Order: sequence, then structure tokens, then C-alpha cells
Amino acid sequence: MKLNKIFNLFRAFFSSNSPLVVLILMIILSSLIFPNFLTRLNICAIVKQYSIIGFLALGQLLVLITGGIDLSQGSMVAFTSIVVAVLMEPCGIFISVTVAIISSTFLGFINGFLVSRTKIPPFVVTLGMLSIVRGLALTISNTKPISINNDIFIQFGKETVFNVPLIFIVWIIASIILHLYINRRKMGCYIYATGGSEESARLSGVNVRRVKLFVYTLCAFLAAIGGVIWAARLRSGSPIGGSGYELESIAAVLVGGGSLFGGVGSILGTLAGVLTFGVINSSLNMAGISPYWQGTLKGIIIIIAVVISQIRLLRRDRN
Amino acid sequence: MNNTQPIIKLEKITKSFSGNVVLNNIDFDLYPGEVHCLVGENGSGKSTMIKIISGAYQADSGKITYLGKTYVHLTPRWAKENGINTIYQEIDLVPSLNVAQNISLGSETINRWGNIDRNFIVKKSKDILDDMGMEIDLTIPVGNQKIAHQQMVGIAKALWLKSRVIILDEPTAVFARSEINSLFEIIRRLKKQGIAILYISHHLEEVFEIGNRVTVLRDGNLVRSGKIDEFDKSSLVKAMVGREIDLSRKKGRACVNSNELFRVEKLIRKDVIKDISFSINCGEIVGVAGLVGAGRTEMARCLVGVDHIDGGNFFLRGKKVRINSPNQALKMGIGMMPESRKEEGLVLERMMGENIAFSLVEKINKMGFVPWSKVKIRVKELISSINIRPSNPLIQVQFMSGGNQQKVVLAKLMAARCNLLIMDEPTRGVDVGARSTIYKLMQQLKADGKGILMISSDMPEILTQADRILIMAKGKIVGELSCKEATEEKILSYAFQLNRK
Amino acid sequence: MSRTSFWQKFRELLSFENISLFRVTLIFLLMIFIAAVLSNGVFLQLENLLNIVKQNTILIIVSLGQLLVIIIAGIDLSVGSVLALSSVNFVIFQDFGLVPAICLSLLISLAIGFINGLLVTYGRLPAFVVTLASSLVVTSVAMVVSKGGTIKHSLSGIKLDDKISEFFKGSIFGVPYPVIIFIFILLIIEFFLRTRIGHFTYAVGGNEKAAIISGIPVNKVKIIIFMVASTLAGIGGVIFVLRVGLGNPQTGGNIPLDSIAAVSIGGASLAGGIGTVPGTIIGVFTLSTLSNILNILNVSPSLQYTFKGIVILMAVYLNSFKKE
Repeated sequence: MKLNKIFNLFRAFFSSNSPLVVLILMIILSSLIFPNFLTRLNICAIVKQYSIIGFLALGQLLVLITGGIDLSQGSMVAFTSIVVAVLMEPCGIFISVTVAIISSTFLGFINGFLVSRTKIPPFVVTLGMLSIVRGLALTISNTKPISINNDIFIQFGKETVFNVPLIFIVWIIASIILHLYINRRKMGCYIYATGGSEESARLSGVNVRRVKLFVYTLCAFLAAIGGVIWAARLRSGSPIGGSGYELESIAAVLVGGGSLFGGVGSILGTLAGVLTFGVINSSLNMAGISPYWQGTLKGIIIIIAVVISQIRLLRRDRN
Repeated sequence: MNNTQPIIKLEKITKSFSGNVVLNNIDFDLYPGEVHCLVGENGSGKSTMIKIISGAYQADSGKITYLGKTYVHLTPRWAKENGINTIYQEIDLVPSLNVAQNISLGSETINRWGNIDRNFIVKKSKDILDDMGMEIDLTIPVGNQKIAHQQMVGIAKALWLKSRVIILDEPTAVFARSEINSLFEIIRRLKKQGIAILYISHHLEEVFEIGNRVTVLRDGNLVRSGKIDEFDKSSLVKAMVGREIDLSRKKGRACVNSNELFRVEKLIRKDVIKDISFSINCGEIVGVAGLVGAGRTEMARCLVGVDHIDGGNFFLRGKKVRINSPNQALKMGIGMMPESRKEEGLVLERMMGENIAFSLVEKINKMGFVPWSKVKIRVKELISSINIRPSNPLIQVQFMSGGNQQKVVLAKLMAARCNLLIMDEPTRGVDVGARSTIYKLMQQLKADGKGILMISSDMPEILTQADRILIMAKGKIVGELSCKEATEEKILSYAFQLNRK
Repeated sequence: MSRTSFWQKFRELLSFENISLFRVTLIFLLMIFIAAVLSNGVFLQLENLLNIVKQNTILIIVSLGQLLVIIIAGIDLSVGSVLALSSVNFVIFQDFGLVPAICLSLLISLAIGFINGLLVTYGRLPAFVVTLASSLVVTSVAMVVSKGGTIKHSLSGIKLDDKISEFFKGSIFGVPYPVIIFIFILLIIEFFLRTRIGHFTYAVGGNEKAAIISGIPVNKVKIIIFMVASTLAGIGGVIFVLRVGLGNPQTGGNIPLDSIAAVSIGGASLAGGIGTVPGTIIGVFTLSTLSNILNILNVSPSLQYTFKGIVILMAVYLNSFKKE
């Protein structure tokens, strides 16, 4: 009897937390195949690299839950890094970072505004914004990267606390805050409701417009943080950086249990998804597979993830 | 349970859509603690009336008195906030959220830190469901629950905020007997709490089981209203019927030459069609009558291959055929005029000529190349013979009137030289002039030896145009009448299944 | 009698598509006017105009494919990558001869379109996801094949014949080859739209449910359209090699966005069912003239990138009202 109960508990945990399970399995697999995998150096490298994507994925998760998508994240990262780099010397850390984050967040607000008030599909809005923001970044920086010489700022990118990279800790804290938010606040509930069935949500009195405005703004805010971290890590602002990051964040969210059709997804799953990608990336590098194959892998993963969520949707509708 | 004041009173409510009067000077009242049933045929105005009460529609004239105050218009938001809740057939829940979240959606309780008070919401939801006598797992997403349970959750949602009036629109369409019992238990408890219930249903047994009073609508007029004891089933049906039909206009005649055109045997589609068999001959118009939800449109969709079937056989001129898609059906000469021309019959942004050509082109192309000159000629021929106005084939269909749009749909079927035409509500929303043109065309097609299966809720139409009438109820054919013997009363008594033991 | 036929002709001219084309042409002429004024007439010189046509040949060809996909209410974000892969393929297959190389490249492009179509129809996945994912896969394959850089040598190491790209810069009767190619493709697509499948695209995009009930083989139509779009992108890749003299796995990054912009400016609606070939071509040239104007005004290419994004959003926004 007790064994049955334990077994059922395990099954419940696995099915609702499958991204976590996948991550654990991948870590086990990789550490068996590659002896150097579980070293502190390697783990730190994965974590440092993917913390930026991690921030993007958090924002992308919220947008995807509402049934939308944000293709402009990569450009926002570049834009933010440029603004930070440009303002760092004359204005110092605090002002440059604040101005950068605020301006990127405003661009996200424009995304939200267009998505909520026009019939333009979200992927077109953010695709257009991708161009617009990238162009702004290129213009401000005159197409050349700008180096940053502020030691304190650069140190932030390298700092560790008890051997754990600071950036990673910040990411985890942000994740916890967001997790609490979407599970406890009304807005969090409404984000899921809008994605689950926009019409029903509206009929129930949810202000769908405000929800959409909120998620796109927040998404850009998180992308901006990612851009600041990026600038610290690379010690420069680059107008062509971050290209393709939004696809990584989308793939990470999908692997973490999110769906392009909206309504589902969790912070924990997204964390697992991001780290899973980090593990896969690292393993592929260790195996000596050309980085060019990564695109194929990402593409196939996206397709598989979307197919799975489509199947889940169909199965539910058949009820 | 009877207070002296009605909770809602409608006075001289009138509503028209595009010139058609849908509600005519309706006086109606609803008392707290009563179950007031609203009955009538399809199109009698029931759903318009409840939409006016719930604020979804605004009446053209008349006034509504609610809790003693008089209003001219209501809005859905206002109605909800003030205790008028409507539960429609289309479930308005969010499938990915769980039961408790759905029940409280939009009006969540917050604790002192500004967070959603989950415990309170779960507890209150559970209390509501317990009061309703329902045992549902609160943690599963609503989309995974049975439809009947989803409907109950919809009712629970109406009870989350204080409700004074609950309107139920065909709630038991998909319920099994045990679920109907549960629903009625809930209704009885709600009655005790003094809540007024407006209940619309085609199932007369239910009306007699749960109703206190009943009101009959016909063609937008209130025909009779009174306590349920004053009626029995047949008097109710009689009240729903009773218009003057000019029998001399009957065009139907018994089919003498019996070349069978199409036969259906034991058609089954899970949950929707439960064994249908019938045949239709060349040069015959077969009408299909029945209430909403009887499965007529679903059957039509199976016949043209839009929906897949779970069992049954089709025979075209005696030969067994499989119909897997409308494309196949069209090639065999079977075409459908769908119930909703705007959503399923026409491509509104395209031109009339293009729309007519869509079905035609599929049949007269050689290796993918379309003889456009021939197509244009044929299209122009059809436009003039059907008298479609305006006659310019370059006009976008969305700018045409309903009647002419329907003619375009008919032109499509004729262009493709269909031998079996399945028409679902051919004259719904169509003006009188276009209507008579369509009837003339149908008679002509019949004379040319085509077969027409005409699904209709319009009694005069079915009685005057059809040679034979099949009546469907609950996914089966429950009766057949020849044009000679058919009367409205007989049709309805089959449709309401009054002769069931 | 001649009066009524005159009015009839006039009424025929007023079909809604012609009115939309009229608006699009007006905007285009406005652009040309501004460009001519700003450049003191230099813009209108024949050499300049021919140049513009030559530069936009590839975009026109790809945009026509994108037009078809947009008419069926889809979108194809993989056209850029398919073009890149096709350019790489064309070079490496030179061993088999010029014509076989072209055929092989186009065949591969066709296959990619087929897979796109399959996933969208039977997989029931949204077009933008499918083509986004396939663009990732295709680009990565192109990178692997070309080992990350541009490519001039075929599989067995033969260098791409310089004579080929020279030949392409020539002309017949004064009409440059690229122009001939684009007119040819234009005619083919116009012709295609008058075939059975082409006619159906408007129905499939305009109202899919109605298309199904009308007996149109919707899935077949969609798959064919994706195949056509990818093949056109493949042709673009071949022309790219002919113009530039090498294959580049990373080219075509702007193509998806540019083609969507051109199609939208040309009056098509992303919701499907509306759009024309002349409109798309005018859209391409309008976009190009706009770039020219910005160049004359000394707007940096970076800022032009921003402009393009704004233009796309505006065009899509204005067209989003065409369908209720």
C-alpha cells in the first residue's frame, strides 16, 4: 500500500516536473560520457553563459503564457549594452544602467501597446521592433562596439559569492520573485487566464489589454537586465550582439514546458529548460561537434516541443 | 417562495434585426424563488429575450424593471455586477485553469498583503460546490473535466458573486440522466435561497419536472404564460404552433418515379448521431425538421465529408461510396449550402464571380489549367438566371445583402452541377423576395431530377416546399411524414418526442 | 449602347483589387517624385532605374513566393536561409554541370518547402514557428556544408567559373539578363494564379472553412504554395551566385523581413485572402525607392534599418482593416 502511494507521488512529481527530470537525466548522461563535465570550471562556464539567456527566458515565458511571442529580445540586449557603454564614462554606473534599462523597458511598452491595441500579430510587431531596435543600436554606436572601462562594473560580471557566480544568484532571485508573483498576485492569474482563453478571460472581467501591456513591458525589462549583464561580461557594448538570443529563450521556455499556444508554463520549468540547453551546449562542445550544427538542434527541438504541446492541446479538446 | 414583487419585469420589449421583428411587445416577469421556463420553436425569440435581460443586446423599445428600478438598456458588465448571471451553452471558462481559479476569475479575493487569498478561494469554491451537491476535484484543469461538469462549474461561477437571477440556456443539451438530476437538485436549492431562475429548454419533460411557470414564445410574440399545472405537453406544443399556413401554396407531392439517388445506412457519429438511415430519390425535396441540437447539421456535415463518421454506409445511385472530404463529395456531385454562409459558405473579401467559380473550377479543369473564358460565361449565366443583384461579378461578396449572398452560395452548387444538394437553413436571414427566388430555383432543380435535402427550422418553408419530411431528435430520425399528412403540430410532436413511452 | 458598355468597363475597373492597386501605385509614384526632386532628376536616369531593377531582382522573386504564402494566411520566415543554402549548393554542385547544379539546388529548396508545408498542414503547427525553426536548421546545414565561410569551389575543388558571372552582367537587345529573368518569373506567377491551385489560394486564405466546404483540397493547396515559395527562394540563391560569384551561407538575413514588408506595402493582408502580383512588385520598388531617398538624405544605413521596421509595422497595420 505504502509502496503504491510512494510510486504515485513519484509519478505525479515527474509528470508535472518533466523539464526538471529531463535536466537531471541530461546532467547524469553528460557526466557519464564526459569526465570533465561536473568540474567547477565547466559548471561555472555554463552558468555564466546561460544566465543572460536565463533572464530573457523569464520574460519570454510570461509573453508566451499569454499566447504571444517576443522576437525583439536579442536587439534589446544589444541596445541596452550600447546605452550602458555610451553613458558609462560621462555619467557613471548608476545613471548609465538606469537610463539603459528604462529606455529598453519603454521599447517593450511599445511592443505591448501595439499588440494590445491593434490587430497586428505579436510576432510581426516584435519582428518589426527587432529591426527598429537593432537599427537604433547600430546608429547610436555608429556600428562599432564601445568598450567599457569601469572596473567596478566589470567586476560585477565576474564576482562570485561562495564560489557561485553573482550573476547566477541574481537570476535565481529574480526567478523566485517572478514565481511568487505569478502564483500569488491577481495579475499573475490573469496572465494565465488571458493565454488559456482570451475570450473567457475578457467575459470574466479581466482587462486583457492591460495584461498584454504588462507582459511585454516586463519582458523588455528583463531583456534589459540581460543586456546590462552582457555589457559587464564582455566589457563592451556591441550593436550586433545578442543576435538570435530570442530564439534561444523561446526554445528554453518550450523545453521547460511552455507552449506557443499559451496558457501553460512555469518558472521552475523554464529554469530547467535554460540549464538543459546549457548542458546540451556544453556537451556538444565537449564532443567536438561543430557549432554550426547547433542551429539544426535548436530548430528540431523547437519543432518537437511545439508538436508535443499541440498534441496535449488536441487531447484535451477531445474530452 | 412567492414575494409579491417580481425581481425582473419586461414591459413592451421590442427588438428587430435588419428589419425583421424578433421580439414584439413582450411583457414578462420573473419572481424570486421560482423556476420560469421559456419555450418555443427555433427562432421564436427566446435567445434574444435572454440576451436583452443579460445586457448582451439592447432592446429597441420598452423597459426593464429590476429590483424596483426601471432601465431602458442594460450592459453585460452591469448585469453581472448586479446579480444577473447567464450561463450559455458555449462554456466561457479558461480550460487551462483549475476549477477554483475559474470560479473566482475576475473577482478574486485578496488578503491583506495584496496577494490572492488562495485558501479562502478554494474553501469558498468548495462550499459552493458542496451546496450544489457536486464533488469535483478542484485542482484539475477545467478543460480536462467532463462537459457536464464544466457546465456545473459555470453555474458555480455565477454563484461566486451574489446572484439574484440565473439564466440557463439549454443547460442539459449534453447531460446524462444522472447529471440532469444533479442539476435539478442544485436548482431546487437555489430556489430555496430565493434566487430566480429563467430556464430555456427544448426538453418538455424537464419543463414539467422543474418548472413553476412557463411562457411560450412564437415568432417573437408571447403566446401564453402561466403556471405549469395549467398545461400538459400537447397543449404546450399547440401553443407553440398555430400559425396560418396557406396550404394551397404547398408544392410538395409524393415522389412517383423512385430512382434512388442517395441512401444512408446506419450512420453513426460518436455522441452526436445515433444510427440514421434514410434515402432520397431523384427529383425529390426531403425536408429535415427538428429542434436545435437534434443533430441535423451534424448529419449534413457527415454527408459531405466535413466530419468523419464512426460507422455507416453511403450509397450513390445504388453504389457504395466513401465520402472522406468535401472535395470527394463534390466530385461525386454532392454539395452543401452551410448553415452560416458568412462563416462557412463564402469568402467575403473576394468577388462574387470568384466565389461562384471556386466549386466550379474543381470540376472543369484539365490538368490544372482552367478554361477561364468558359468559366466566366457560365458564371454570368448563373448570375442572370438566379437574378443575383447587383449583377456585377466583380463586387465583393461582403457588400451584398443576405438574400443575394445566399443566392451566390446556391449558384456555387449549381455551377458545380451538383446532383444532391444539402441545404442547411436555406432562407435564414433572407428577405422575402430572395426567398421566393430560392424556392423557385429549388422547385426547378427538383424538376431537373436533382435531389435536395433541406434542413429547416422554418415551418411554413418545410410544409410548403418538401415532398417528404423527416424529423430528427437526439441524433436519430424519429418520424417521417409525407407532404399530404404533414402539419406543424405533427412535426413538433415528433420533434419534442411526445409519443415516446 | 456604347454608353452602357463604357460604364460596364468602368465598373469592372473598380474591382476592389484595382482600387487597392491604385492606392499602392499612388504611394509609389509619390516616392519616385520625392526621390526625383531630392536628386535633381538624377534618380530618373535610365541607368539608375535599370540599376534599381537589377538590384531588386532577387527580392522580387522571393517576395512573389512570400506573397503566395501570405495569401493563404501563412508566412515564410525560411526564405532567406533557403536562398543561402541554395547559393552554397549551386556552387558545390558545379561538378555535375551548370544545369544539373541548378536543378539539384532547386530540388533541395523544393523539398524544404514540402517539409514546411507538411508540418503546417498535417502537423497543424503555426506557419511562423515551422518556418522559423526550419530557417534555423537550413542555415546551420548551409554553415556546415560551407564550413562557415563563403564558398567558391565545388565539391571536387573546381573554382567557380568567372565567365558565369560575367555572362550574367550582359544583356540581350539592351535588356539586362536579370530583368529578363524577373519578367519571366513574374509571368509565371501571374499564370500560376490563374490555374486551379492558384485560384484556390485566395479561398484558402480568405476563409478556410468555406474553402473546405466548397470542396477545395485545402491541404494540397497549402503544401504546394510552400513548395513554390521555397523554390523561388532557391532560384534567388542561384541568381545570387550568378551576380556575386560565390555562395554565402549567411546571406539573406534581411530577406524574410524585406519580403514581408514589400508584400504588405503592396496591399496584401497578413490575415490572408488579399494580395496581388503587381502590388508586390510595386511594393518592392517602393521599398527600394524609400531606401534611395534615405540615402540621398544621408540617413545612415543603421537608421534605415529602423525605418524599415517602422514601415513594416505601418503597412501591416493599415492592411489589418481589410478583413473584418
